[in-house]
Amino acid sequence: MNSRSGLLSTISAILLFLALTSFSIVLVVKNGVVQRFRILGTARDVQAWVWTRTSNIDTYFHYRSENQRLAAENLQLKQQLARYQTAERVLDSVAVRVEPDFSYLSANIVKNTVDRQHNHLVIDRGSQDGVEPGLGVVTARGVVGIVGAVGEHYAYVISILGAGQTVSAKLAASGAFGPMTWPGTRPDRMLLQEIPVHIQAAPGDTVVTSGYSTLYPPDIPVGSVVSAKVSRGSSQELTVALFEDFNTLHTVYVVRNRHQAEIEALYEQVP
Amino acid sequence: MSRSRSILFFILVFLLQLAITNYLNLGPWITISLIPFLIVHIPLQRSPHAVMLSAFGLGLLLDWLSAGVLGLNAFAAVMAAAPRLPLYRLLVNGEREDAVWFPLLRETGLPKYFNYLLALTAVYLAAFILLDCVSVRPIGFILVKFVASTLASTLPGLLLAYAFQRRS
Repeated sequence: MNSRSGLLSTISAILLFLALTSFSIVLVVKNGVVQRFRILGTARDVQAWVWTRTSNIDTYFHYRSENQRLAAENLQLKQQLARYQTAERVLDSVAVRVEPDFSYLSANIVKNTVDRQHNHLVIDRGSQDGVEPGLGVVTARGVVGIVGAVGEHYAYVISILGAGQTVSAKLAASGAFGPMTWPGTRPDRMLLQEIPVHIQAAPGDTVVTSGYSTLYPPDIPVGSVVSAKVSRGSSQELTVALFEDFNTLHTVYVVRNRHQAEIEALYEQVP
Repeated sequence: MSRSRSILFFILVFLLQLAITNYLNLGPWITISLIPFLIVHIPLQRSPHAVMLSAFGLGLLLDWLSAGVLGLNAFAAVMAAAPRLPLYRLLVNGEREDAVWFPLLRETGLPKYFNYLLALTAVYLAAFILLDCVSVRPIGFILVKFVASTLASTLPGLLLAYAFQRRS
């Protein structure tokens, strides 16, 4: 009798083990962070409130470097504005009106991870501010990620520092483009792949966004080439040092492409 | 140490783990986990079902509160909880598990306690790192991360065990 109950207990323990591990794997595969953000909205708001407070403390201790960074960004934007104003005067003279393709919404980061294989950020803008899943997130010094899920006041951003995340980027000088991925070892390095072997890429060459995706505007400087090696004999793999320091990131911009829906509808029409 | 103080210590260690996961940035090469230390301190008299369910709950709670990938710590915790008793019998004591609430450093001695904690931590981190990195990261990275993380997680566990026995 005892041996029978012992056997039943062992079998039920094995079944429980299989059930729990299978359930965990299903959660991981379905990338439960995004689902959880949707389902547990209220609890997430409480968590985000705590993260905001701790982020405020962190920002306080880094306000000087953050100010310097924003001042540099302001200067760069003013220079760009001056160029655009000149261009606008020319367009006005020939009576052409051009709507910008991208609009921007600034957001503060309340949580940011860089030490995991699947990193993420939480920003203090949500559906109330017009943020939607699938929008790109950038800074003046690079690409940050994609909005994965949205609460009323906060949004969850899937960082480009994550397994499986790619950014379409190109060499500014030659225009040769390819997918840029994170190798997972350092938060300040990415790999630009599928660059043809005949393209010359020297250390220090600037890498910018290609604009071939609907997520990110073209020509945002992302980083500079550190080294190049031939990969699989047919293309080059470039190691890129990112301009943006993800460890000290505090402010980002959510980007909306005015034509995103139209372009995605076109893709859906293709059989 | 009374049962209520043990539970309080358990909660404090979990909060410490939460703080480590959320605020301590050691880079992509090292993951520190105190969950195996907590699994060691689930009473030995508990059935394997209760231990696996407790470990699963702990892992899931950590995943949720740290905004990590949901299921990752839960999976690793169940993988470490399942062989807990066989590992205890193999590495600490083959006979007396019914007599002890859970193993204490001063009762088992440092070598046995270290081996037991190291083994559970290794199982936990092997499961965690493989599920997180397999097929997307090179094997060299996975191995280095596994060794570094196992050592980095076992040492704080030993310090906590020392603190635990001083207060008991």
